[in-house]
Amino acid sequence: MNRIANYVVAYEATSQGHDALELGVAMARLTDAELRICLVLQPVTAAPSKIYAASGDYEVLLADQAAEWLAAAAQLVPRDVRASTHLIWADSTSEGLLLAAAEHDSDRIVVGAARGGILNRFTIGSVANALLHASPVPVALAPQGYRATALTRITCAIGTRPGWEALLDSLAAFTEGLDVELRFVTLVEVDAARDKHSAAAAGSSGHLDAVLAHYEGLVHGHGSISTAVGTGSTVEAAVEALDWRDSELAFVGSSRLAAPRTIFLGITAHRMLHALPVPLIVVPNIPAAS
Amino acid sequence: MAHSSASGATPTAAAGAGGITAKGLSAGSVGLLGATVIGISCIAPAYTLTASLGPTVAAVGTQMPGIFMVGFIPMLLVALGYRELNNAMPDAGTSFTWATRAFGPWLGWMGGWGLIVATVVVLSNLAGVAVDFFYLMLAQLFGNPELADLAGVVWINILTCLVFMVGACYVSYRGMETTKMVQYVLVGFQLLVLVWFAVAALLHFSNGTAFDALGFSASWFNPFLTPSFSAFAAGVSLSIFIYWGWDVTLTMNEETKDPETTPGRAATLTVAIIFVLYILVSVSALMFSGVGTGELGLGNEEIQGNVFAALAGPVMGPFAILMSLAVLSSSAASLQSTFVGPARTMLSMGHYKAFPNRFAAISPRFKSPGFATVIAGVVAWGFYAVMRVLSTDVLTDTILTLGIMICFYYGVTAFACVWFFRREAFSTVRSVLLKFLAPLVGGIILAVIFVTTLIDSTNPDYGSGSEIAGLGLVFILAIVLFAAGIVLMFIMRAVNPAFFQGKTLTKGTSRDVA
Repeated sequence: MNRIANYVVAYEATSQGHDALELGVAMARLTDAELRICLVLQPVTAAPSKIYAASGDYEVLLADQAAEWLAAAAQLVPRDVRASTHLIWADSTSEGLLLAAAEHDSDRIVVGAARGGILNRFTIGSVANALLHASPVPVALAPQGYRATALTRITCAIGTRPGWEALLDSLAAFTEGLDVELRFVTLVEVDAARDKHSAAAAGSSGHLDAVLAHYEGLVHGHGSISTAVGTGSTVEAAVEALDWRDSELAFVGSSRLAAPRTIFLGITAHRMLHALPVPLIVVPNIPAAS
Repeated sequence: MAHSSASGATPTAAAGAGGITAKGLSAGSVGLLGATVIGISCIAPAYTLTASLGPTVAAVGTQMPGIFMVGFIPMLLVALGYRELNNAMPDAGTSFTWATRAFGPWLGWMGGWGLIVATVVVLSNLAGVAVDFFYLMLAQLFGNPELADLAGVVWINILTCLVFMVGACYVSYRGMETTKMVQYVLVGFQLLVLVWFAVAALLHFSNGTAFDALGFSASWFNPFLTPSFSAFAAGVSLSIFIYWGWDVTLTMNEETKDPETTPGRAATLTVAIIFVLYILVSVSALMFSGVGTGELGLGNEEIQGNVFAALAGPVMGPFAILMSLAVLSSSAASLQSTFVGPARTMLSMGHYKAFPNRFAAISPRFKSPGFATVIAGVVAWGFYAVMRVLSTDVLTDTILTLGIMICFYYGVTAFACVWFFRREAFSTVRSVLLKFLAPLVGGIILAVIFVTTLIDSTNPDYGSGSEIAGLGLVFILAIVLFAAGIVLMFIMRAVNPAFFQGKTLTKGTSRDVA
């Protein structure tokens, strides 16, 4: 089936929502996907208070305002990207986004992750956090202040523990036919005192070779592929030891603790996030059967 | 691909499409029990009783139970009108929009102003009660009665109130709501503690350990034995305060599982529970304390503004701390939820250009009326601080002022109902009753009470006995608040006349809808 991919953009009229929109645009351009710009409002209830505050009037005003925000968001999308806007009523923002993703059979949800993070890096907001615990589709997190650029390289962070094949399958599906560089990295925590070329790092290099072989079995006619091992005394330091481009996108898998088909960000990935300067896509676990 | 539209196409068209964009996913989630719980938590009986028992006894003495029963009548009549307006104009949900549609911009503006002022006054009273009980609870917790006296130190009191206001304001601003479970627990706890209090008071009476035992008399239930019409009017005005919030249950159409029957049944069940509770508590408090001016007498001005603070200890013994918890939680929850009403009214007034544009701002992050919420908090606290300094009994005076304000904006709304439906009111018997007779009679009662209490409040002895230039503080307060509204209205008219020229919200009747 020649289906056009679509991405749900978690929009709100804040810098965070803007970041998500920019990342959505960058990815839509790369993969010829469409954007579903979604703004979630919570149904207004009559508050249990002595003053009668009916929800009707307020809900109408709220919806008007939301329509204005969405119209402004649509103006931000460049002409070459197809986008539609959607106002969603749901009990919580994350629930609304998941509903939208199901409704549109979306391929991923794009959300601005940062608020108040330092140096353009990630701190995870409550919506992003909720999605990371429940989404059945990959979640793309835009760092604070992200602006769309042509994406030139995709980096996939691979662990050595079982389950990495699922991530590769997802990556292969995403990168099939794209003209971007690929890079596989593993992160190694080493004792600061020890040599960087330790046995662990060497083992990682061996692992990356296996990963490379697996990937080349999946995808044919890909662009250039490189591998790298990030070493450091902490996960954060290991991330920082690698070079990162502004035009880069990172992939990471879910924790093995996640229920099948949903995301759960593992401890390592969580810590990675704190040091990562580029957008990150978190891929759910896919059961081996499918 | 039904939902995709090319970039640049009108987004509003897309926004309306699609199954999940339908409004109100949680519609129909509230059943009879839930709606009743919401009704009771709107009324906040623990807070309401502690604030109103004293002033009511001061006005009508032992006729309090009778007055509580008659006082429900105007509330019922007006609420019926509210329901009709709510059904006819579901998109408009405030006294402001209703009154403007019926009477045009000037009275509409004042209706909205009346509601905002009533909220500001009740917010300051709620905060005042919460502050008192906060220090009382600390005193009970640490077994140190001196802590309770901290509430009497003006600057500590005002600062504590500020902390409470900021907290409540912040929760509202964040758009957080108390969950159903929390509401159930709070309401259940309040009912339990109030019944406990009543039973304990009756036990003291039968054991002969009551403070000023007053034998029960059936004549307490006869409201016509009140000493004067002024007293009667003051009592009814206070009773409207004690049922204030009950009308919310009647108008909860969208949220209930069965909109045809649930709101009516919930409203009936709510008022039945509240009736029994109020009668039980007022009778037992009278039997325990009497109406004298002794230390624990309900006639004692020192304790009138916050009766349970004084009575809970002697009546409930070591369990008095439960009463502190019940009133504190009830007033804190009310404090938070009460911010929502005026904030939405101010937002609505901002939207229709009746207030400056800034009031129409909706926080993009929390989707709440940010500016209006903050202003409501600042004004309520400022009002409280001024009252603390001016009045010898801020709680009593604010409750009496509140009665006047509620009479005003309920009255305006009741007459708005009569006027708005004037063309269709006589089409069926049902609409004659609900769209004409009930709101008309309710409105007239409220108007009479309003005028009577306003005139009586000129007497410096009215309320706490605070006065300015020989006029009662309650009267001064009411007049200043109304005058401020009129002045602001003319300023707004001069700055941005659009609303007052009928350009944003038009006057009409129920038959205009084409």
